[in-house]
Amino acid sequence: MKIVDSTPISPAAARITAAAVLVLLLLLPLFIRNIYWIDLGVTVLIWASLATAWNISGGFAGGLSLGHAAFFGVGAYTSTLLFLRLGITPWIGIFVGAVLAGLLGALLGVITFRLKGPFFVLATLAFGIVIHIINVNWRGLTRGAAGLLLPFRGGPQNMLFLNLWAYWYLALGLLVLTVGISAAIERSRLGYYLVALREDEDAARSLGVRVVRSKVVAAATSAALAACVGSVYAAFIQYIDPDSTTQFELSVQIALVAIVGGMGTTFGPVLGAAIVIPLGEILRARVGGGAALVVYGLLLMVIVLAAPNGAIAGVRLLVLRFRRLIQSRGATDA
Amino acid sequence: MQLVLQIIANGLLIGGLYALLAVGLTLIFGVLRVVNFAHAEFMMLGMYGAYWLWALYGLDPYLSVFLVTPVIFLLGVAVDRLIVRRSIGKPDVTVVFATLGLSIFLQNAALTLWRADIRSVSTFATGSVFVVGGVRLSVAMTVSFAVALLFALALWIFLTRTMYGKGIQAVAQNRRAAALMGIDVKRAYMITYSVAVAAAGAMGVLVAPIFTIFPRVGQTQIVTIFVIVVLGGLGSVPGAVIAALLVGIIRSGAGFLFGTAWGELAYFAVFLLVLIVRPQGLFGRRGAEVYGG
Repeated sequence: MKIVDSTPISPAAARITAAAVLVLLLLLPLFIRNIYWIDLGVTVLIWASLATAWNISGGFAGGLSLGHAAFFGVGAYTSTLLFLRLGITPWIGIFVGAVLAGLLGALLGVITFRLKGPFFVLATLAFGIVIHIINVNWRGLTRGAAGLLLPFRGGPQNMLFLNLWAYWYLALGLLVLTVGISAAIERSRLGYYLVALREDEDAARSLGVRVVRSKVVAAATSAALAACVGSVYAAFIQYIDPDSTTQFELSVQIALVAIVGGMGTTFGPVLGAAIVIPLGEILRARVGGGAALVVYGLLLMVIVLAAPNGAIAGVRLLVLRFRRLIQSRGATDA
Repeated sequence: MQLVLQIIANGLLIGGLYALLAVGLTLIFGVLRVVNFAHAEFMMLGMYGAYWLWALYGLDPYLSVFLVTPVIFLLGVAVDRLIVRRSIGKPDVTVVFATLGLSIFLQNAALTLWRADIRSVSTFATGSVFVVGGVRLSVAMTVSFAVALLFALALWIFLTRTMYGKGIQAVAQNRRAAALMGIDVKRAYMITYSVAVAAAGAMGVLVAPIFTIFPRVGQTQIVTIFVIVVLGGLGSVPGAVIAALLVGIIRSGAGFLFGTAWGELAYFAVFLLVLIVRPQGLFGRRGAEVYGG
């Protein structure tokens, strides 16, 4: 599976672009006053982190997971339940959730590492559904379909803020963390191992790549980060239930965002969130939820059939064309 | 004893209906190496076909099944042309998410067109029951089961007795050798996909008098079908039939013993276990997930 054929963007240029985008995002509160747009912005950032987390195992290692909502849900429920039952602040709960989900991800990685193609996908799907069924039916712990309401107690020390912009910075911090980890993995020995075993597992093994360990580490990291996003989501929405945290549709959408943006690249999932989430919001508001999902379905089909490298490949192509244009202009001027 | 017989009889009836759906899914996998995530959506379309023909023209589902099934067959031809054929032999992400995208599309197109209302069809058989040896059987379910059996028989004759069917079997065994023998592999793909989704559509029409009809109904069934085909061995037709009957009985027994929710959990756990311990299922062959073979 080839993800990107050529990389016309140099690492330095990518770093400068990323830094510029980050500064812009940090300064955004100076320009936007409308609560609706801030809310949408926080949602985009949360989805960007979630898709980035998925991409570590799904994109780099090629383990297409349709059960990632389970890890998101573990994070959301762990920090929320610790806060409600034991009064432990979500600032600590987020790490407990990450550890729990990481262990769960490692466990799933250990039992599924041998499975290929559709079998792996079906195993993750079944795993996600098992977690969802437990979530709906273990009413003593999760209150089932009734969900959990986060009471506004304490404020910032409990990850609860009155100002929406505080959530913007919280979600932005989380995105910097997930993208940072993702970029570090991509450049590390582990990252090269993962890509190697994604492309040809047998060849990678024969060259000395530790297949099982690499896959399990990727799965655990991906799960732990997804759980962190779940905790932040719970603090932002302040209400969680099985439908909004562990449902199968959520797992599909996580994968969809990463695929549309460009799986197997660091910034693809972020770009995917910036495209898919606002598009979905606008369609939901204008033509209704069903029609929005019709477009999601179409988008998914068109992307995987016509442009499996995602939107980021298109951006790369544009940059390349633009540079050629400038170069040819420069040539004629001289 | 009476109770055990009752549970087994109910399980067999429902399992027989599932078999019609599962055989198609496993056939598509065996021949095209594609997991058709949209499979249950064709059942949903069959259900709506039965509903509208009944609601608008008063046509009985046991008659309209002969109208709806060919239409879904043609839809299958179109889907094969536009989507499935283009994904074959491509990376996993394309194969998996192309039909998953189709599933999301069809589900929500139905939701947009026909709204989320829950609908139902009633026939001459609705609500009536007959008793055999102390076991109470629903007339609607029994008639649907019998018609499903008829369709399954026709499918079996098609696969084993016609040249098209034999070609499909050859492609499932070894696509390269089949192509060298002059079999049109692409046509085999098209026929397999269309016949399989038409069977799913027929199943949808037949269960319309039994199940409630709503746009997401496919989603409530697809995972059960996955459990069946994986248990029977992805690609194995006899395996799918046996597993469907087995799952039917397990479901009706577990539902009685533990209640629906925890019974469901139990069989997902079994599903995961089968995938991990014996991914080729009870009757499948090893390495079936690789396209090349």
